[in-house]
Amino acid sequence: MPLSRSRPFFEPDVTSFADIAFLLIIFFILTTTFIVPAGQKLDIPAASADPAKAEDKQLTVTLVAEEVHYGSEGARVTLDELRRNLFGCNFRAKPPDKRIVIVNARADVPYELYFEVVMAIHHADGVLALLEEEEKAKK
Amino acid sequence: MSVRRRKRVKAIVPTASFADIAFLLNIFFMVTSNFIKEGHIEVKQPHSPEIEAMKESQISVALDKDGELWLQGKPCPVAVLEEGVKTLIAELGDKTVMLKIDKDTRQEKFGPVFLALSRAGAELALIGQKEKE
Repeated sequence: MPLSRSRPFFEPDVTSFADIAFLLIIFFILTTTFIVPAGQKLDIPAASADPAKAEDKQLTVTLVAEEVHYGSEGARVTLDELRRNLFGCNFRAKPPDKRIVIVNARADVPYELYFEVVMAIHHADGVLALLEEEEKAKK
Repeated sequence: MSVRRRKRVKAIVPTASFADIAFLLNIFFMVTSNFIKEGHIEVKQPHSPEIEAMKESQISVALDKDGELWLQGKPCPVAVLEEGVKTLIAELGDKTVMLKIDKDTRQEKFGPVFLALSRAGAELALIGQKEKE
């Protein structure tokens, strides 16, 4: 009768596991980029607001290609002049319905200009109002 | 006089748990990482001195340089944007929509997007880059 042999105990070598795991961590740390979005929250009145109200003499900023026109007379202004004019309106002291600034942008206006104008309005405590296409046609 | 030499005890640092710790750290990073949904969308951000760092919102709309519209990183025609955003607002309970638009996009493309989002009752968070005053 054969005697049972004692089998040698095989232990897997796990010493390199820690190295692999730490290398993975270093890889993740180095390749991770933390993106913090920068921007501005805007309160835009509902697009379906009463069009009759839009007909009121609200402050209007008209954008044509790269140009900014301010007020009912449509005087051409630079962005800095626009910022000064908007601050001069002292929106903070006015009720919300008197803070509305209508931005009438033509089809060829680049977003960069629109963005800067919208940011300037928001910074001056104005409220941006959007124009529907039908309303635009009227204006 | 006989001097007895002390036997030196070999110092061994137990490293058996290092692997466990490292793998746990890996799992933690993998679970908590938030992968960018819109890495494939090319958007050159506009600049303004008036913007600040803000919290990322769950709903994201992007309009790339070719005028393609993306909702949550997936293509979305402007005609169905309003409905899509309304559904997401209802599902997620967050009205804030991060809006990324390429700086060279013209109003004829981004105007309808603004209107659709406004109609959907979204609160817009315009994304840009801070420019030094």
